[in-house]
Amino acid sequence: MRRLALLLLTVAAIVYPIPLQLHGYTYYQTVGFLVLLNAVLGLGWNVIGGWAGQFDFGPQVFFAVGAYVAALLFVRRGVEAWLGMLAAVVVAVVLCALLTYPLTGLRGHYFAIATVAIWMIAQPIGATWEYIGGSQGLFIPAKPHGGALATAFSLQYTGPMKALGYYYSALVLFAVTLALMAWVERSKLGYYFRAVRDDQEAAEGIGIDSRLYKVIARSVTAAVFAAAGVVYAFWALSVFPEQVLELNWSTLPIMATVVGGIGHLWGPVLGAVILIPISQIMSTTLGTGPLAGRGIDLIVYGVIIILIAAFRPTGLLSLPWKRWLGRERRGPSARPAAVDR
Amino acid sequence: MATLLSVESATKRFGGLIGPNGAGKTTLFNCITGYMHPDEGRLVFDGTDITRLRPEKICGLGVARTWQLVRTFGRMTALDNVVCGALERTNRVSEARARARELIDFTGLEGRADVPAAALTLADKKRLEIARALATGPRLLLLDEAMSGLTPFEAAMAVQLVRRIHQELQITICVVEHVMEVVMPLSHRVVVLDYGTKIADGVPQEIVRDERVISAYLGERRAVR
Repeated sequence: MRRLALLLLTVAAIVYPIPLQLHGYTYYQTVGFLVLLNAVLGLGWNVIGGWAGQFDFGPQVFFAVGAYVAALLFVRRGVEAWLGMLAAVVVAVVLCALLTYPLTGLRGHYFAIATVAIWMIAQPIGATWEYIGGSQGLFIPAKPHGGALATAFSLQYTGPMKALGYYYSALVLFAVTLALMAWVERSKLGYYFRAVRDDQEAAEGIGIDSRLYKVIARSVTAAVFAAAGVVYAFWALSVFPEQVLELNWSTLPIMATVVGGIGHLWGPVLGAVILIPISQIMSTTLGTGPLAGRGIDLIVYGVIIILIAAFRPTGLLSLPWKRWLGRERRGPSARPAAVDR
Repeated sequence: MATLLSVESATKRFGGLIGPNGAGKTTLFNCITGYMHPDEGRLVFDGTDITRLRPEKICGLGVARTWQLVRTFGRMTALDNVVCGALERTNRVSEARARARELIDFTGLEGRADVPAAALTLADKKRLEIARALATGPRLLLLDEAMSGLTPFEAAMAVQLVRRIHQELQITICVVEHVMEVVMPLSHRVVVLDYGTKIADGVPQEIVRDERVISAYLGERRAVR
């Protein structure tokens, strides 16, 4: 049942853009790209926020680090995007470990405030550092490649294939991230993260170095954000501080994770699949025409999120899906309520 | 805790630590397990100086504890709680799960392995804490009021479990307890604390006759009644 659902989802994700592409539409491929990008970020944030239980409101710093590292390597040294992505992940992990270790003595709100503070410090650095282009940022020149494989590895899709190319690149990144997170959840790391979340003292008492595991959790989050930042930079063809350090790179994934189900592997995925298309629909319907320019789309979008959060604070995945789906198959038989997870 | 306190523990023995409220029993446990560091003096476990070590390091040396106010991993299942403990001795989750299953059975939680820890009764949470502590493979187990808040029947079951841990697993145990009826029959040796100072140390029969203990602890209890 689970495998079948997974297979159907995979086929749908691979096949749906093809008829659209053949008819010359690209809009839905771009929506799909944004859904996947935010799902990847949500999967990353779920490690520190959902499993390790530490509220990190500054992961966009590592999104920016990833984008800048790969862009710099490409612009200054001509390094291809896939190599740039590896470098970006390494730099983000090292930087995150160095920045996070001193913060791990802080708990709860204080940890959250510290992560925001790091983001605030990153903004003027990004805006004034000449080497990375200051507030102008970096421009990534589109370089046409011969073969499809070379294009894919260099993340440089151009022309009518652009939206589709980035959609499939994001799909690959998503699949890799999801598989990695599924492994983390079942590994020693996953157990230790959740132990620290549920009771830090008790975790230390059974031999868990809480500071070390908080650093590891946030570094995994940073690695995912950096990789996503690289894909975004090559899609946007530019990197500048106001764009990659934007608050939305943390709030959207966090909202997707919370709406879908914080601490559940598929929570951020479900959240992104619901929230991102709604935001796109709102901006294309309410954001145009007579109501344009008044932010009505954002107001309605916000209200929808508030309604979901009020209706199900533990996320949509925490609804008794097993019972509902079970009823559909077996009819209204008496079954005990499925325990969460 | 400025006062020097000398407590030595023999291996495979059962020690009791008693004293009136505020005597420093839990503080002593916190020092032994690395949650607090003493102002003076040294803590030595099996030849290793643990005075300044952090809790996770001390656990690695073979000291495990439970808590006066239970601390389970509420959102994880009972089994997963114990798995976390067992991962102290192995990096393989499958191995840890097998060990955790054994300890869930040993502590009598077999029907509740897949229940989130937060949904367990107090008696079961206390058992779970013991199972989780045992999973780390300790040589010394410190139980902080393992019976408090339990009904007489539950307390009797808990005493039985503690007795089995001592006899079958051959682990040195030290209990902090208010209930004299628990400490006295189980312990080989009882240490009495009052205001951070050791006021008596000996076999249970001597302790109950000790003048200072009666006035500081038993006497106080009688006076309150």
